[in-house]
Amino acid sequence: MKIIKTMAFGVGLVLSAQISQAADSGFTLETVNPEADRVALQNYFKKRFPDAELNDYVNGIYAVDSNSREQWEEIEEFPPYEFAVEEGEALFNTTFANGKGYADCFENGGIGIRQNFPYWSKEEGTVKTLEMEINECREANGEKVLKWSKGDIAKVSAYMAWTSRDQVIDIKLPEDDAGAMAAYLDGKKFFYAKRGQLNLSCANCHVQGANIRIRADLPSPQLGHTSHFPVFRSKWGELGTLHRRYSGCHKDSRSHPLKPQTETFRNLEYFQSYMNNGLAINGPGARK
Amino acid sequence: MKKALILAAALTLVPTFVAAESFENAYLQARAMYGQGAVFEWNGKQYAAVHEEEVEADIAATAENAQMMVDKAKAKNKEVAELGFEWKLTRGIIKDAESALTAGEYRKALDLAAQAKYHARMGIKQYHYAQSSWQLSVPQ
Ligand code: HEC
Repeated sequence: MKIIKTMAFGVGLVLSAQISQAADSGFTLETVNPEADRVALQNYFKKRFPDAELNDYVNGIYAVDSNSREQWEEIEEFPPYEFAVEEGEALFNTTFANGKGYADCFENGGIGIRQNFPYWSKEEGTVKTLEMEINECREANGEKVLKWSKGDIAKVSAYMAWTSRDQVIDIKLPEDDAGAMAAYLDGKKFFYAKRGQLNLSCANCHVQGANIRIRADLPSPQLGHTSHFPVFRSKWGELGTLHRRYSGCHKDSRSHPLKPQTETFRNLEYFQSYMNNGLAINGPGARK
Repeated sequence: MKKALILAAALTLVPTFVAAESFENAYLQARAMYGQGAVFEWNGKQYAAVHEEEVEADIAATAENAQMMVDKAKAKNKEVAELGFEWKLTRGIIKDAESALTAGEYRKALDLAAQAKYHARMGIKQYHYAQSSWQLSVPQ
């Protein structure tokens, strides 16, 4: 009898070990499971903020903080990015010196395609962002490339986002391509690793610390983070790209920040955008 | 100066990993609460909370020594940058150290370079810690 009991206990242990292993969302190339990550993140925020609607997470902190939401709704009545979208449209439709234009570089003439970016390019073995392809389009047509963080590139990107409003984010992760998985895992790891003199990870503020006051600021939940970029920030007084925001936040951990469009930031965007699959594009956005 | 030497010796003498960890905790706590050189007791002995780099920089304030310390800080910071864990202020501190060196303020240059090297070493430590701990905050 005693022996049987001991054995049963042993089996129980083995089983529970397997279960807890199967349940994690993967920390190595062999086990990483983006869908499990996405579902787990949604469930995490459902528990944290039971009153928030899933589709509302594209509105950042305003999805979970009703105080600042009112101010923001007032701002959105006369959207500060309106002129930038118009300028973006004009830039988008201006032909290059060789007679071609942006529309020639993108699927569907560049209209309504924001939700498919970033994507994994098998041929190039790297993550391609929308801003990257805007500049590649210019280069291929003999135009000067634009600076990454703000100005014309943000305007063109804002116009392209505008034409994609309400399209459902649809980031593909080819499972048979180890490179794509590795890029995703790299982005995930970057997001969760503590760094900088303050020893903070992105997650410390945007997962565990979401809607918890840090000095004068409330960090948004990471779910929905990429949907509304580029963004018009009152603090900037202008539009900025997602990677401009990444650099700023990276620096907030007192790290030496990476530059926009470096491989790590593109992998980060890939990971974050995948988390938003199923949510709708609402760019450009307005934030404090 | 004497205390610093005691500590440098102690760091190499600590026998097991577990013991080393609790020594480190005692050390970090004393340092955080009472600052550089704070004396604390661990396992019945007294130590001074002095960083490795501060011991290193506790040498004659000459141009050669200051240059050597700046070079060490630069090399360490390059190492941490390659790992992607460079801290924000380190390059600026190294620049300040170089300016002090040019101005003939060798003591200041030594101390600043020591601080920069400390930042870089901590960043490297952070990188290694991250490799086994980043998973902890991923929602499951
Ligand atoms: C010290 C806390 C802190 C850390 C660490 C931090 N952030 Fe932020 N982040 C903020 C705050 C505060 C804001 C502004 C409020 C908000 O979330 O919109 C913000 C804004 C953002 C936004 C814009 C959200 C929006 O709705 O427009 C993104 C994207 C973002 N952070 C990503 C990151 C990434 C990626 C990292 C890691 C490299 C990171 N953050 C690290 C505090 C932090």
